[in-house]
Amino acid sequence: MRVLILFASLILSLSAHAFDLQQLSDQLAKPSVIHGTFTQEKHLRALPQPLVSKGTFVLAKDRGLLWLLKTPLQQDYRISTQGIARRDANGWQPLPNKSAGAEQNRLFLAVLQGDSSGLQRDFDLQLQGDATQWKLTLTPRSLLLKQVFTQINIDGGELVQTIQLLETQGDSTVLRMQDSTAGQPLSEAERHDFAQ
Amino acid sequence: MTLPSERLLPRLFLILLVAVLALAGWQWRHGAPLSANLMELVPGSTPDALELKAEQRMQEPLNREMLVLVGHADRQTAVAVAQQLGERWQASGLFEKVQWNLQADLPALREQLLRGRLAMLSTKDREQLIEHPDAFIQQRVQALFDPFTGFSLVPSQDDWLGLTGRIQNSQPQQGSVQLDIGSGALIADADGKSWVLLRARTTGNAFDMKLPLQVADLLQASRTQASEQGAQLLAASGLLYAANGQQQATREITWVGGGATLGILLLLLVAFRRWRVLLAFVPVLVGVLFGAVACVALFGHMHVMTLVLGSSLIGVAVDYPLHYLSKSWSLQPWRSWPALRLTLPGLSLSLATSCIGYLALAWTPFAALTQIAVFSAAGLVGAYLSAVCLLPALLKGVELRPAQWPLRIAECLWLLRASLLKRVPSPFLLAWVLLFCAGGLWQLNSKNDIRQWIGAPPQLLQEAQAVARITGFQPTSQFFLVRADNQQQLLERQAALGQRLDSLVNMDKLQGYLALNQLVNLPAEQQQLRDALNQLPQHWQPLLDLGVPASALQAEVAQLQALPTEDIDAALVGPLAEPWRTLWLGPVDGGVAAMVSLQGLNNPTLLRVQALDLPGVQLVDRLGDLNRVFADTQISAAELKLMSCVLIVLLLILPFGFGGALRIVALPLLAALCSLASLGWLGQPLTLFSLFGLLLVTAISVDYAILMREQIGGAAVSLLGTLLAALTTWLSFGLLAVSSTPAVSNFGLSVSLGLAFSFMLAPWAGHQKHAL
Repeated sequence: MRVLILFASLILSLSAHAFDLQQLSDQLAKPSVIHGTFTQEKHLRALPQPLVSKGTFVLAKDRGLLWLLKTPLQQDYRISTQGIARRDANGWQPLPNKSAGAEQNRLFLAVLQGDSSGLQRDFDLQLQGDATQWKLTLTPRSLLLKQVFTQINIDGGELVQTIQLLETQGDSTVLRMQDSTAGQPLSEAERHDFAQ
Repeated sequence: MTLPSERLLPRLFLILLVAVLALAGWQWRHGAPLSANLMELVPGSTPDALELKAEQRMQEPLNREMLVLVGHADRQTAVAVAQQLGERWQASGLFEKVQWNLQADLPALREQLLRGRLAMLSTKDREQLIEHPDAFIQQRVQALFDPFTGFSLVPSQDDWLGLTGRIQNSQPQQGSVQLDIGSGALIADADGKSWVLLRARTTGNAFDMKLPLQVADLLQASRTQASEQGAQLLAASGLLYAANGQQQATREITWVGGGATLGILLLLLVAFRRWRVLLAFVPVLVGVLFGAVACVALFGHMHVMTLVLGSSLIGVAVDYPLHYLSKSWSLQPWRSWPALRLTLPGLSLSLATSCIGYLALAWTPFAALTQIAVFSAAGLVGAYLSAVCLLPALLKGVELRPAQWPLRIAECLWLLRASLLKRVPSPFLLAWVLLFCAGGLWQLNSKNDIRQWIGAPPQLLQEAQAVARITGFQPTSQFFLVRADNQQQLLERQAALGQRLDSLVNMDKLQGYLALNQLVNLPAEQQQLRDALNQLPQHWQPLLDLGVPASALQAEVAQLQALPTEDIDAALVGPLAEPWRTLWLGPVDGGVAAMVSLQGLNNPTLLRVQALDLPGVQLVDRLGDLNRVFADTQISAAELKLMSCVLIVLLLILPFGFGGALRIVALPLLAALCSLASLGWLGQPLTLFSLFGLLLVTAISVDYAILMREQIGGAAVSLLGTLLAALTTWLSFGLLAVSSTPAVSNFGLSVSLGLAFSFMLAPWAGHQKHAL
């Protein structure tokens, strides 16, 4: 009996061990389009309650991310390899490509799309769990990044579920992605938004 | 029989020589007093001390800094190679600072941003806060929810109104390099590669004699090393031009000096067939010594360019001994002292006219030419003295039996000329020559540019252009100098200029500019902000709705209003102010002054207009000014030339009479005219340097006319003497034509042409009847 338990745990640890970064990357890179809703909590050190906002998102492989804030205020963002844009009355307006900000957005896309090679450059990656329930911990390597983030935690199963950014200053941001579905193709409007 | 003077003169001269040698030894006691600073050579057209100071400030980084791009298709490899390179260079000891990554001092940045919240806020943000406080608050609320604004250096609770974030975002972007937050490297992406920017600052400047060469060697070694790793290096720096210029000068001194020396020695040997005749080179050495000593004595040092152009002195200095050596064809048996006595008047006249010609150069505003003039005049005096006092003693007892074939060639030439004259009389020939001149002059165009001084190889230029294109750093040599009575007025004046420059930027005529008023607001504007903060509580309800405590907001407003008004000096403290720091000249002459630097300019005339009717604003355009001075000097050089001719005529009236003197001077002038025409026919531009070359030719070719007119020993012998003199001179000047510095080669070409025409025209100098 004891041998059996030992044997079982050995198999389990082996399979757990077998879920590596490459597999996670493959798993996250599989769906071509993901739709979902999100809740964003910004915990500012000086505020008793977090700033909570909600909205929907569309993550399209090779195109980027649409982040559509609905409440408490309405604001649309688009992140692509070209940079970040914000929608105003005149359409998408590229935001000034501030070097550090641009780098952070590249990171964000890399996280959502499971581009671990992009992340490994700047962070030490630690992966726990298995394909259905995993947790990835990112610890910055460079002095410069350490002055911005202490840690980034990403949780997920088939898709990314939660991203937690812990800033060195003491503030933190939690992004929860819910009801993510991978089946639905891009709508005409979304295609249009990515194209501009 | 030995005359007392024949014993005394060599001794006196030897004493002088020893004295000059001692002086030279003392001058060289700390090593070679040489300089390679190009700016020392160009006209001192900047009378204003402040302008000069501003210019030095702007020039300094160009002469000490090197920008290197390390390119590789893979970003990480590029960073790794740049890191190795950076470490290796730092260890080389040639650089004061080598920087390939940014280790930002975030606490200092934070402190500066917080302190400068009123002083550094951009005009746009300031106006929004004052005129549209609702929109201002709304944007702040949005920013607090925005997950993508990028990290803010200052935590929200220290800056609820978000002023520091706005200041950060309104900083003018520096070129197209981006910070790689992982490595801290500055990276630009272009041509399918990632380029890591590395900045190195040398310990000395570009005009140090050794440093540029060492830096260029190190760069070359690094290039090889990088290419082994598949990476490419692009470099841009004033140092590289300096290194190139030095190598080139060294090469050219060797070629021109060595070539001329060898050629002349060979000529002497072939013509006179005696080893001892090589002693005729002694005056040349003495001439170079005198020239160098005089130059260092007068200017404190000698420029490399003087040495290059001065090396042509060899050809002129050897003419003095040739004058009497060539008499050996007719004067048999040839004895040194009698031959000298026979040619002494001609020699002395020739020295006087050459010196007049050279010294005319000294009155141009070009430091370079003044040096060359002094070097050459002193050199000629030295050569003359040794040729007159020392050489005859050295050649005493030598029996010259020169080869007969050169004489036969000269006789042939003389006969040829005679038969030509029989068929076509002189006046017709003159008409033809004048026609030739008119045709050539018609096609002659003038071109003057400081860039003719620099023979930069295309590879250096291409690399510098590539670096500018990839990084977006395109500093221009032009800048604005703004003066005012006080800081307030200075900032106001800069703002007025800034408005005009903004519209140029919007029209894509200018890439950008840096001015102090971008960094710090006027005291009055800072006060406006303080006042506007009083009305903010009526508008900040949306922030309170988020849960921001009212007490925190009130405390922040109180803190902001208590911020002291920042002046320029205060604003310049802190890492964000770095790009502006060099622009501030501080208090000067009872007022203050600052510069406005420019990036990526494509129309200098447009800039000049911007300063119009703005008080205290002045465009400093050194290159443009220089090019204008070049053009002006061309005219004054022509006047100098005519004046020197008048002087020479006056000098020659005594021995040759008015008619003879006029004729002797007219020939070189005609030769100069023919050379100008030839430049036109050849499609070569007339530059200041070709003009200076012709100025010299006039001085030298007066010699030939005198030699021909004196006709000591017969027409053919004199022609042969002239031919030898012209050949030796041409050997040294003509070789300059191969120089890769456009200015020097242009000079060589015009002198070569001038010499050829002077030789051809010299026989028309007529024949002086001698009393004997």
